[in-house]
Amino acid sequence: MKYKVCIIGGGVIGTAIAYFLGKMGETSVAIFEKRYLSSGATGRCGGGIRQQWSTEANVKLAMRSVEFFKKFKEEVGMDIEYKQGGYLLLSYSEEEAEQFEKNVKMQREQGLEVEILSPKMVKERYPYINTDGVVLATFCPTDGHANPHKTTFGYAKAAESKGINIYTHTEVNGIDIENGKIKGIQTSRGYFECDVLVNAAGAWSKEIGKMAGIDFPTESYRHQIFVTEPLKYFFPFMAISFSGNFYIRQALHGQFIMGQGDKDEKPGINENVTFKFEKEMAKKMVKIFPFLNNLRILRHWSGEYNMSPDAQPILGKSSEIENFYYAIGFSGHGFMLAPAVGEAIAEMIVFGKTLHSDISYLDKERFKKGIIQEKNVV
Amino acid sequence: MVKKVQALVIGAGPAGLCGAIAIAESGVDVLVVDEGIKPGGQLPKQTHKFFGHEGFFASTRGFEIGEILYQKAIDLGVKFQMKTTVSGIYEDGIVVYERDNEKAYDINADFLLIATGASERFISFKKNFLPGVYGAGAVQTLMNQYRVLPGQDFLIVGAGNIGLIVAYQLLQAGANVKAIVEASDKVGGYLVHANKVKRMGVPILLKHTIVEAIGEEKVRGAVISEVDERFKPIKGTEKELVVDTICLAVGLQPSVELAAQAGAKIEYIPELGGYVPFRDENMKTSVDNVYIAGDLASIEEASTAMIEGYIAGYNIAQKITGKDLSEKINKMKKELEEFRKGPFSTKVRNGLKKFGVNFPEGGFRTEKQENTGPTGKLRVKIECPQNIPCNPCETSCPTGAISVGGNINGIPHVDYEKCIGCGVCVMKCPGLAIFLIQEQEKYSIIGIPYEFELPEINEKVLLQNKNGEIVGEGEVEKVVRNNRGKTHIVFLKIPKGLENEVRHFSKISLEDEEIVCRCEEVTRSKIEEAIDNGFTDFEELRRYLRISMGPCGGRVCRLQTLSIISMKTGIPISELEPGRFRPPTIPIPFKAIIKGDEENEI
Repeated sequence: MKYKVCIIGGGVIGTAIAYFLGKMGETSVAIFEKRYLSSGATGRCGGGIRQQWSTEANVKLAMRSVEFFKKFKEEVGMDIEYKQGGYLLLSYSEEEAEQFEKNVKMQREQGLEVEILSPKMVKERYPYINTDGVVLATFCPTDGHANPHKTTFGYAKAAESKGINIYTHTEVNGIDIENGKIKGIQTSRGYFECDVLVNAAGAWSKEIGKMAGIDFPTESYRHQIFVTEPLKYFFPFMAISFSGNFYIRQALHGQFIMGQGDKDEKPGINENVTFKFEKEMAKKMVKIFPFLNNLRILRHWSGEYNMSPDAQPILGKSSEIENFYYAIGFSGHGFMLAPAVGEAIAEMIVFGKTLHSDISYLDKERFKKGIIQEKNVV
Repeated sequence: MVKKVQALVIGAGPAGLCGAIAIAESGVDVLVVDEGIKPGGQLPKQTHKFFGHEGFFASTRGFEIGEILYQKAIDLGVKFQMKTTVSGIYEDGIVVYERDNEKAYDINADFLLIATGASERFISFKKNFLPGVYGAGAVQTLMNQYRVLPGQDFLIVGAGNIGLIVAYQLLQAGANVKAIVEASDKVGGYLVHANKVKRMGVPILLKHTIVEAIGEEKVRGAVISEVDERFKPIKGTEKELVVDTICLAVGLQPSVELAAQAGAKIEYIPELGGYVPFRDENMKTSVDNVYIAGDLASIEEASTAMIEGYIAGYNIAQKITGKDLSEKINKMKKELEEFRKGPFSTKVRNGLKKFGVNFPEGGFRTEKQENTGPTGKLRVKIECPQNIPCNPCETSCPTGAISVGGNINGIPHVDYEKCIGCGVCVMKCPGLAIFLIQEQEKYSIIGIPYEFELPEINEKVLLQNKNGEIVGEGEVEKVVRNNRGKTHIVFLKIPKGLENEVRHFSKISLEDEEIVCRCEEVTRSKIEEAIDNGFTDFEELRRYLRISMGPCGGRVCRLQTLSIISMKTGIPISELEPGRFRPPTIPIPFKAIIKGDEENEI
């Protein structure tokens, strides 16, 4: 069996790339997913879509993605519960507050509408939030959230309708390289020839790189998350804090989804959960959002952040192997960037270069020059 | 003037009817008296199919056997006097009491065949005087003859054939059977009877008995408890069941009164049911012109009662007419010998030995068939693991594919090259123990013998295993109606791999039909539509439709969803991924976690 493009990974990135390839007329494409669609980080993430980033490039990429999310239902053909309810960023340190003000200046230059709110303003606007300790907040009304599963399924179904094949429960076991070029892949369903191979394997991106003899500087870390029983919908925005280490949103169905990072996590794939997380979250979140006190936790799970050294994605085309592309290391914000990244990678494959977004700054080679950390990450 | 008959038969049950027929075949005049309204004894209240061989009406329902025998007797000129009780056998005559006419008078008879059958045993327990405590026979009479259901929620005491059959009939009548308690450590009745009720979810609690009826004016419940090896209730093991009727099916004892009054010698032979009249191999008692047959002679079942009736009847006719009927008599004796060769007749054989009447045993197949036939072919699966005297499967098979092996007590085996999957044996089997199986590409087919309100074609049903537990969901493929025998075959599409699990089904109520996942209100049609759209993993469906994302965490809908996936994709449930089982298993409030954490820190 032969496809022009083989994509490893059935998450939102792999399916978005496939969708855009199909849209650009390239339909000799197959996705290989070792479990089921959205089974990795995509299906486990919080579903936030944010444009308030600390680097200009990230802001641009995120804004491009929002343009796609807005027309997702019409163009891709699935209702993904997209809601532009805004993102409320809460800062609990003077230093971070200063950085926020700088960020907002840069974001506004990009054309993004962002407000700066004092704790008092936050209290007035959102009386159900306890603002103790809040130094400053910013709010972008065009940020939002959507259902990550449905987004993946939407891309996948649209791709399939164009004739693209999706092999779930199909594990890639080896990459066949001849004269510095990938010839095909060995999978649990047999051998597939390809002209182009894309690594969109998320948490497993490093393992896939190794099969081609390439060392991607990514490591996967567990992040836990849980969801409550539903309340009447009243909380349309995502509240997030880097210094406070949390994020919380209410889904359209009414349930609250929330999580935090854990600096003590060791790298590796771990899909278990801890009670420590529930204890820490319960205490912290009830303090800030007192209405949660009587609410019950329904389901608790975890997924992997595929971290890069600077907490920004690694995108592009391999310098070692010419027909090997990668879109990995999203560091916990792949879902929100998937539309712009999918488009950009597809353009690189079809046209040899990106037409709408400059992603050259996210090439793997950047780490040779030093690391500029993205700070706006939980 | 004293009425006189050549032969008087007391009791119009299967033994008495056959005895009367045998006597009348020789032109002898016969009168049958019986206290019941309808002839047939217990037969008119038996709605189940009888075991045995088709020569003695195996696979025919009890009440129909009664009608057939009665008609046969009438055609031979037998006279019947119903609603007439023999009130005593005196030195000077047999006194009969016509209840309707309120008239008692005596009859003289040259020969007497007593076939008075048996009466029910009772056991004592606290408050067993409460209305709502019934014998199994009474429940059957009310339910099957008078169409009155004496209660709605039943406890049945005793797992012999009668208890098991009554339980099944109650279920057919729409009642609930909360449990069957049985003091011994095994089911006394045929396993095929037990399986019929088990697969409908009725628990059979072995080593259990009833200790008390609960209620003031009538039964409102029952206390049951475990028993020790000596059948003594074990203190502390009591359990309460909410029932409104307690049905006792703890065994039968021969009704010997009239035989004793006739001068027949009575002996206590526990193996035969207690006090029984002595009789010889021709069913003659110690009195020369007094014969007996049926349950009075030994507690058994209808087939042997009928044969004994014939043996007694031919002997009486031979004596009256002087004709040699030994050929007919020997044929019947041979039949009886065949029936009694199996393990279920051990007690009777041992009991009769005490009367010097010997019956041989053995000569039948005991090994079960391991081979279940070629996968993919529509074929039968017989689940009849005991050596019971029954063979309609063999005699009804049009291709000769089934043999019970040896004599009628053998365990049936199937020649799968000959079996054409026609289902005749499924409809015939009195134990409803034969199923049809076929593995197909995406699902399997199972044909289930069914005697309840029939489902609609394409109707979705919940699949139940041998213990009545729900193991998945299926769909009715077709219904083959059996207007004569009334055992219909319902063919179900079931998930692959469940061929040896599914043995019954229950209808899904309208509410269920709508919703699979109750927490998130996901309907079946949504699930099926999603599967058609390519969401074939449980986790994909969960994420797409929110199945099992509610407070129950999938306890209600997971298996049902997996069945639907299996049916649609042809992948056995065992090979599907069941999805993640995410904590917490029940919703936990934030405040509970906070409180627990604070108290731990102190």
